[in-house]
Amino acid sequence: MTTARDIQTVLPPEEDRRQSRAMIELLRRREVQVVAAMIVIVAVSTAFHPYFWASANFGYILADSMVIALLALGETFVMLGRGIDLSVGSVMGLSAIIVGFQIQNHNMTLLPAVLLGAVIGVVLGLGNALLVAVVRLPPIIATLGTLGVYSGLEFVVTNGNQVDTIPNSMTNLGSNQVLPGIPEIFVYTLPLVLIAALVLRHTVFGRSIYAVGDDAEAAYKAGIGVQRVLFMTYLIAGLLAGLAGVVFLIYTSGASSTTGVNDNLSAIAAALIGGTALTGGRGGAFGALVGSVFLTVTLTAMSFAHMPDVWQPAGVGALVLLAVLFDRRARDASVARRSKRRRWRR
Amino acid sequence: MTTLALPRRWRLPGWGVCLLVALAAELIYFTLTTRHFADGGTGMLALTEQFVPIGLLALGLAMVILTGNIDLSVAANASLASVFAGTALEHGYGTLIAVLLAIAVGTAVGLFNGLVIAVLGIDSLLVTLATQFIVTSIETSVAGYSPPYGFASSFLRLGQGAIADVPVALLVFLLLAVATIAVVDGTTFGRSITLIGYSRRAADYTGITTRRALCAVFTLSGALAGVAGVLLAAYYNSAQPETGSILLLPAITAVVLGGVDIFGGRGRIGEVVIAVFLLGFLSQGMLIEGDSSLAVTMVTGLLLIGALVLKVMFERNFRASWAARMRQLRSPLSHLGRPG
Repeated sequence: MTTARDIQTVLPPEEDRRQSRAMIELLRRREVQVVAAMIVIVAVSTAFHPYFWASANFGYILADSMVIALLALGETFVMLGRGIDLSVGSVMGLSAIIVGFQIQNHNMTLLPAVLLGAVIGVVLGLGNALLVAVVRLPPIIATLGTLGVYSGLEFVVTNGNQVDTIPNSMTNLGSNQVLPGIPEIFVYTLPLVLIAALVLRHTVFGRSIYAVGDDAEAAYKAGIGVQRVLFMTYLIAGLLAGLAGVVFLIYTSGASSTTGVNDNLSAIAAALIGGTALTGGRGGAFGALVGSVFLTVTLTAMSFAHMPDVWQPAGVGALVLLAVLFDRRARDASVARRSKRRRWRR
Repeated sequence: MTTLALPRRWRLPGWGVCLLVALAAELIYFTLTTRHFADGGTGMLALTEQFVPIGLLALGLAMVILTGNIDLSVAANASLASVFAGTALEHGYGTLIAVLLAIAVGTAVGLFNGLVIAVLGIDSLLVTLATQFIVTSIETSVAGYSPPYGFASSFLRLGQGAIADVPVALLVFLLLAVATIAVVDGTTFGRSITLIGYSRRAADYTGITTRRALCAVFTLSGALAGVAGVLLAAYYNSAQPETGSILLLPAITAVVLGGVDIFGGRGRIGEVVIAVFLLGFLSQGMLIEGDSSLAVTMVTGLLLIGALVLKVMFERNFRASWAARMRQLRSPLSHLGRPG
């Protein structure tokens, strides 16, 4: 009786099981599911339209999804803390307009433009952060209010004009491809997603966002500055939306007073598709990226299939419904969660 | 004297009175500063035609918010109904058929919302966000490149006509408002939706079929959106596929301004009705004064925030003592009842 032999006979199945469990765990991840669905869509579309596979088309899709990706990334921070920000699209639009006028009329270069966009985003995000974390209004109402204010401001700032001349040196960032199918703008945006993922996964601040979103009362009792964490999430959402404004300028080479009106809800949709739950505490940075690329791929595939453009919002809506339907935890626990919410209020 | 340990009745002392005073002040201000505002009283009444659709949406939304849910699709739903009414008229159907069709379409969308929310148990914010997108697509697709316009006068009378200087649209709104107040304050169903908003679990234990009630509330909201769609089409004399997104913000603002707790369980429809007039006259007065519609949007947003800040302050001062207020200020997350 050698124990070594026993161990040897026992180990492999154990190892095997662990591997298969890891496999199942991996397949359960929303990001993986979404990527799989994306591959199917790309394959089917390519089968019918060979041009879909062209690097130019892929570059277009990636560049197109970067604005929503940044907005969804900010929205992810907010949603992880169990909040919602309905105003990110308008923050993006306002940043695009102000930066755009500086570039158009005062020959601003790229680096100052990015900085200006970031500052505008932080200032506007500060408004949301103050309302939610200091004045303590319900996030949906506070950000609905700032949505009205910011989109009104967009109109005031443009004063009937619009941004339409962005120098080629900037717009080339959106059309140049460093590798076939990878636009330059993607290379600049990806680090932001990586940093966000690092912050969310490996810093005390990131973990405390999850804690607050999962159970604010528990987080409070564990000594987390709940309001400070929430404050920061709205600030970060503003910052990323401000940067998204600059990306929007680079990609579309223009901006008007209605820029970003439709992106508020698309950003939330992209984050939801990427697996970030509206009930807080679940999701991640890569989900935002994957979700927004998936959204753009699907919409592009729809127009390749000769669906009229008016059906694109319906596509977004259907994807949101599907994303929630496939998320069993978002459904079953709803009643229990609601009673938990009640408890805090009294 | 026995002292019961019941918490004091929560309702804000005289929130409705505050709203009425603000409304009166606003009407006097605009009458004095803007020549065409009052026009001997009839002008003021005629102005109501413009914001009655918002009021109808606010009525439905108020009931939904009373249950602690939200319906983001009401405004898009109203547009859809207006498009269907317009299309029916364009194809030669009579006024009655068009009106019924529009209300039926609104009700159907509301029923869909209600079924998905109640049966599948998905958060209403998500479901109505999705249906809003879907409904927008359907309405622009049905309306086509040139939305139907130029309707028969019997249909237009609904939006533009008047009985003894009182616009028909206003009468419709007041009638439905009274009906809503009667339902919410006077029926078992109304009390049960308030209880669902106050505590879903308590409602379940009370024996209320909460799912059925939720489904009914969303259906009612859809039906009211359908009526709003009819009035929209009749007022503008054309189907309104683009109006959808514009009406949502003022409708929610009216509900919140009317003192309905966004987490449900508290609020009076009567105060929402006053808030509708307050908000409507404010925006119309501003438009007459020559402000742009986006400036009005901005003011609406500010008003929404301002009303809430005021309410939160009211709420915190209610139990008087400074120490209690500080304790409340330091307590975690009293405002984050539900996601968003």
